[in-house]
Amino acid sequence: MKVRFWGVRGSCATPGGRYLRYGGNTTAIEVRAASGHRILIDLGTGVTELAKELMAAEFGQGRGELPVLLTHTHVDHIQGLPFFTPLFIRGNSIRIMGRELEGASLKEVLQDQLNGHYSPLYGLENLAAGLEVQTLRAGSSWPAEGFEVKTQLAPHGSTSVVACRITADGKSVVIMTDVEHAPEGISSELTELARDCDLLVHDAMFSDSEYTLRAGWGHSSISSAIAAAHAVGAKRLALFHHSPDSSDDRLDMLVQDAAEASSVPLFAAQEGHDVTV
Amino acid sequence: MYLTFWGVRGSYPVPGAATVRYGGHTSCVELRSDRGKCLVIDAGTGLRGLGKKLAQEFRKPDGATYNLILSHVHWDHIQGLPFFEPAYIGDTKIVVHAPRAAAKELRQVIGGITRHEFFPVDLDAVPADFEFHEVVPGSAFEIDEFTVLPIGLNHPFGAVGYRVDADGSSMAYVSDTAPFDRMLHKQHFTAGIEEPSDEDREILKTMRANLVESLREVDTVIYDTHFTSEEYEQFPHWGHSTPEHALQICQEAGVRQLVLYHHAPAHDDDMMDRIAEKFGLLGKEANVVVCVAKEKMTLTMGEVTNPGIVA
Repeated sequence: MKVRFWGVRGSCATPGGRYLRYGGNTTAIEVRAASGHRILIDLGTGVTELAKELMAAEFGQGRGELPVLLTHTHVDHIQGLPFFTPLFIRGNSIRIMGRELEGASLKEVLQDQLNGHYSPLYGLENLAAGLEVQTLRAGSSWPAEGFEVKTQLAPHGSTSVVACRITADGKSVVIMTDVEHAPEGISSELTELARDCDLLVHDAMFSDSEYTLRAGWGHSSISSAIAAAHAVGAKRLALFHHSPDSSDDRLDMLVQDAAEASSVPLFAAQEGHDVTV
Repeated sequence: MYLTFWGVRGSYPVPGAATVRYGGHTSCVELRSDRGKCLVIDAGTGLRGLGKKLAQEFRKPDGATYNLILSHVHWDHIQGLPFFEPAYIGDTKIVVHAPRAAAKELRQVIGGITRHEFFPVDLDAVPADFEFHEVVPGSAFEIDEFTVLPIGLNHPFGAVGYRVDADGSSMAYVSDTAPFDRMLHKQHFTAGIEEPSDEDREILKTMRANLVESLREVDTVIYDTHFTSEEYEQFPHWGHSTPEHALQICQEAGVRQLVLYHHAPAHDDDMMDRIAEKFGLLGKEANVVVCVAKEKMTLTMGEVTNPGIVA
């Protein structure tokens, strides 16, 4: 199984020379199985780069199929949707899965993202590809051909997001972004979801000192990511959802310190990098 | 009067090595009068960097009012607003001036991007007070020493440009707009070019004439030149112009300087260099100085009487 990070940045994209090595696009992760199946997690600006690769293959001919799991609908996780070119090609079949929301449905929220005020697309119905929006209960297994996908709700400030465990080829990656565990640590449900995974991709937006000023914002410190990796027995940890204020040099420093403090081998997720699980 | 670009890109922000020199942030311009009063034009992702600078300049206990004029509310022109640091300081007022394209109130539309499904902090919950002011094409208004004239443009769901006069000089911001010959943009989805009716053609003719008249003798015009002419032929229904169209308008209006702006995401630095070279030469023939907008680039309009601030 391969994991490719197309966007690793949280909150907002960070163009510029200080963000070239880790990358400035907002969140998007592609997981590929040896069978050739793929699943995409989140639709941040990183998907505009993935789109180029997909369009050069079967998606350019309207023969692509892609399941997309949305962790949640904060803008940095969906802002690539209107620019994801496979959606403009008739024949492609793209299925967005997310959790049921309170108040508005997932489809209504995505529809609002594309309303005429904000987007010249004027709505999901104008995307030429077949787009299906499917809401599922977190805590259950979600359907994606070629993978086993288990999900669980994770706390994110005043709301919650979907954490997932994706298994294929006998290996498991767990994606836990935009999560802030309770002060006593990761919940038993999330521990169960992530237990003994081969790779844990975890929110690590803040350094420990930044976190003290931003507790309650719904994001993790690097230390709490390490603690979670240790608690679940993860074999490797990828620090993810980097702060827009973390330049390459700053991340190098943070990662070096983190690696020394962690019993679980770790690295910071880098845009464009393939990780073999 | 002088200005600095904080975001020059259209559609969506483009990080990476290919956009380091021209910049990857979406639309945002900082305009300053000689004595340092600030007027922000558009609130794309570039606004985050500008907001940090303005927050550093902020001195209590005076409080501060920040004025933003928006061309329209497509995502790439407003997505920086939730990351505008002065919104999180108390004692600040943020006045957003924007066209209203439909019955919905501006507060509802612009505040809508911070509905809890999209962003964790609601616009109404931030420490700063937000005020919304509807602008109408043709109705000039004053902000501090700036005289601001909204100009109707040709863009899906509607957009306005602005002419701004201050300190005895002038600039204009003309983004986003399509040219005024092939199609009149309205408030519905179009998968391709829509042939204009006779009535549409009249509207387009008036809109164009009005734009040229509004830009008459303006010092510096920032213009939506998203497409090359070849790209425009493929996507004439997307609501964006080309450098050729912009130059034609600026030449007719007797503009001194044209700044190409709202670069397509696919236009990398090398391509922007080629565009700069080509239209620099064509501009000379047309007697218009042509340059390409770059992030952090500062331009002055007229004689700046307090050049100390410009550095």
